[in-house]
Amino acid sequence: MTTSSRIHWWTSMVMLVAGAALGLACFGRRENLAALARPPADRNVLRIAFTESLVPDPHRWSLPMPTYNHFILSLWEPLVGCDPATGQPRPAAAESWSVSPDGLAVTFKLRPDGRWSNGDPVRAEDFVRAWQRLLRQPMELAQPLYMLKNAEAFNQGLVRDPALVGAHAVDDLTLRIELEQVRTNIVAQLANPLLAPFHATTERVLATQAYIGQPQQLVSNGPFRLVAVGGDGYRLAVNEHFHGRDGVRLDGVAFVRAGSFRIERMLLAAGVVDLVSPLSAFSDSPWPTSRPVSMRSELVLAVSSLNFNLLRGPLNDMRVRQALAMALHRRETIERFGRGRLVPAWSWVPGIPGREGLALMKEDAEQARRLLAAAGYPGGRGFPVLTMALSSMSKDDPFPPAWSEDWYRELGVKTHLCYEPVERQDRRVKQGDYDIVYGTFTATVSDAADLLGVFLWPPEYSYSKWVDTEFARLLAKAEATSGAERLAILDQAERRAMAAMPAVPVTFARRAALMSDELRGWYEDPLGRQSPRGLWLADNPAPDEPMRAQPGL
Amino acid sequence: MIDGDRMIRAPFWRDGRTWLGLWLAGTVAGVVVLAWDAWPWLHGSTLETFRYTKLNRWPIEGLWWLLLPLVFWLHSHLTIKDRRWAWTLVLHAGMAVLVAVLFVVVASIRVVLANHLPASFLPVVANELRWTGGWSYTPALIYLLLTFALYTISFYREWRAGQRRMDELVVANAQLETRLVRASLDALKMQLHPHFLFNTLNSITGLIRKERTREAEDVVAGLGELLRRSLDHRQEARETLEEGLVFLRRYFDIECIRFQDRLQVEYDIAPKCLRAQVPSLVLQPLVENAMKHGISQDPAARLLRISAVRDGTRLILTVYNDGPPLPSDDATLANGIGLQNTIARLRMLYGDEARLRLRNHPPRGVRAEIILPFQTNTA
Repeated sequence: MTTSSRIHWWTSMVMLVAGAALGLACFGRRENLAALARPPADRNVLRIAFTESLVPDPHRWSLPMPTYNHFILSLWEPLVGCDPATGQPRPAAAESWSVSPDGLAVTFKLRPDGRWSNGDPVRAEDFVRAWQRLLRQPMELAQPLYMLKNAEAFNQGLVRDPALVGAHAVDDLTLRIELEQVRTNIVAQLANPLLAPFHATTERVLATQAYIGQPQQLVSNGPFRLVAVGGDGYRLAVNEHFHGRDGVRLDGVAFVRAGSFRIERMLLAAGVVDLVSPLSAFSDSPWPTSRPVSMRSELVLAVSSLNFNLLRGPLNDMRVRQALAMALHRRETIERFGRGRLVPAWSWVPGIPGREGLALMKEDAEQARRLLAAAGYPGGRGFPVLTMALSSMSKDDPFPPAWSEDWYRELGVKTHLCYEPVERQDRRVKQGDYDIVYGTFTATVSDAADLLGVFLWPPEYSYSKWVDTEFARLLAKAEATSGAERLAILDQAERRAMAAMPAVPVTFARRAALMSDELRGWYEDPLGRQSPRGLWLADNPAPDEPMRAQPGL
Repeated sequence: MIDGDRMIRAPFWRDGRTWLGLWLAGTVAGVVVLAWDAWPWLHGSTLETFRYTKLNRWPIEGLWWLLLPLVFWLHSHLTIKDRRWAWTLVLHAGMAVLVAVLFVVVASIRVVLANHLPASFLPVVANELRWTGGWSYTPALIYLLLTFALYTISFYREWRAGQRRMDELVVANAQLETRLVRASLDALKMQLHPHFLFNTLNSITGLIRKERTREAEDVVAGLGELLRRSLDHRQEARETLEEGLVFLRRYFDIECIRFQDRLQVEYDIAPKCLRAQVPSLVLQPLVENAMKHGISQDPAARLLRISAVRDGTRLILTVYNDGPPLPSDDATLANGIGLQNTIARLRMLYGDEARLRLRNHPPRGVRAEIILPFQTNTA
């Protein structure tokens, strides 16, 4: 029964004091706090923050990809690396390579001084072993090896004998690969961290997760080796058997688990980590400590696009597709929703090392209206409602509604944004029951042909269903040539694709990394494959370097 | 709960101490489980960090569990029934905000502990939680809903208790009224008995003086039996007409001795009226009046007729004597104690549905008539 008893005055006071204390906890000082001093155990150890699940298995992607790359490239070394400035391959586990006259075989000579972390020599069969394991994985992982002879058939179970796959250990130091068809960028493609070698024990250790209790059991050939696994992440120490040991200036690398993307920034401010790459969350909060940091960014080798289904109604008309492409307002939309993270895409392939991006797109609402009228839809009258297939996971993405709004405002074209669970969206796309798919294609090699290759996908896998024999001929020709001639052919192919407009490139992304000023040797890589091998920590960060953190990092 | 002089112990599940004990037991069990789970982390294991302890994973449940007694305590000490209801609402709103802020702080502490951040980062983390959904009004909403539910239950219980008290009061009032009526009836009956007793004793005295000792003995014996039956009936407010007539026959047995052969008593009773419920001894004062003011006053008078008929829903009882007419109706009614008592009893038992009339019956005699609702035990 409710009585008429009163609450005592002191209870109100307690509540008031508690509220004030909690308020202070929430709204207290948030600037110029003291950062933690680097623990002695972490002296000359690069500490990298990560948020998603990270496992020391090259065949298990973890997102975002740069974090995965930093981790895997710390532990393992593929056959080749890629020069981030030129996009050209350079020796890594292999010291040299030669391409056969017909271009269908490449022979790699491994370094004689290549060693596993337990001292065993790195052999050609270690690559064959790892690649065969990769080919037993699902298609999305195994696809980078489809260039090898019989690799796709082996992955799909059509070929049972692994010896028929085009990867052979000729001897301990000679690896020969055979290709399905000529590919100019085949060597660069082997720089993929996914294609790291496996020691004889690696597959078992990964399968049993024995590395959790006994990290030394995970034998690797990279600049670092696993020394500790804990709930808070991984700790790596220098691999004393690494052939380039003398060039490794760090004593170790620690991958530190963060609760969320936003916490990563705080860990850096507090002095718990030295590098956040990529910086996935931007914040308007002031920088809480005096720790000097800097932000570096690089253009990502990826393109976000609106892909038209050419088999659907008016989208089969090139004038309609061009009108839709011209009616967009990329700059205004990016300014509104993606400032600092995105740039307008005027071509299908962004600028990459050794190749400037082309200017193939233009925005002209008046011309777009004329084109649509010429196609028989003046003012959008009679134009059917377009169905844009979207995953319900992308409901917070502001861009599809923005593009849709542009089309309605400029052309009177209406769009149904069809958000569905991933499975239903996949089914819809496979059945071709859509007009537009909004998606992002990411390159795995710093080469224009990699992104242009999406237009060669078979119609059953292609969003746009665009088939053009001349385009296919040009790309095939590019694969058989090199140098300036190849670049010219790729330009020609890209211009042809963008003229036909099976898909409209809308945005390119910039990837940012936030790092302590102590960190040295950081370089831009459009593929986000910076290896900690070449990084080091300055003992005394120079105060005059332009790397001071700014609000909004 | 105190009810009169009795102390009634509330059922154990209504006793706050039971729930407090259960809460304490649950808290101790929870602490043991959490401590057991966090043991490796507390001992510096690298594999088991705070991030994976139940302490980090059960904060919402744990915090609500700890807050529960406070919520109940506040509810029991804050009432919105009195004039300070506005203050109560303000305190509850403030408490809701406090609860929400507390959850933010706890979430911030979790983040600080899980990520090995310095304690000075607590405000930074709390501020950052805005962007990750950490600032949620859900705890405040839950608190307000919980409080609302508690008040609803309290008001419902009060309403039920009020209903029960009202029912008890109605029953108590009815019982009290019955006791009062019974006391009044007893008092009235006590006025009847001495009146009759004195007349009879006078008769006995007369018989003794006339040396009619045998008749005097019969009258004494009859009186004794009459008194015994009268005492037997004292606790009953009503009796059947048949029982009343048996009593009257005893009475007339005595009066016949007193009046020798001059008294002629006639009964005209409809058989179906014998079961009718009537006030006990209701005819007695009418009969005594008839004897005293009628038969006794005129040597020629000798007839006394008692009749009972049913008239629809009414029962009409009549006592007729062929004695002298009434000198004045008003005076007779006003002065006769027996008649006044009878009128009072009828009003008490039947209200306006019953009445008593006394009037001359030309050419000779007086007729007393009682009209009352016809009722039986089964009615």
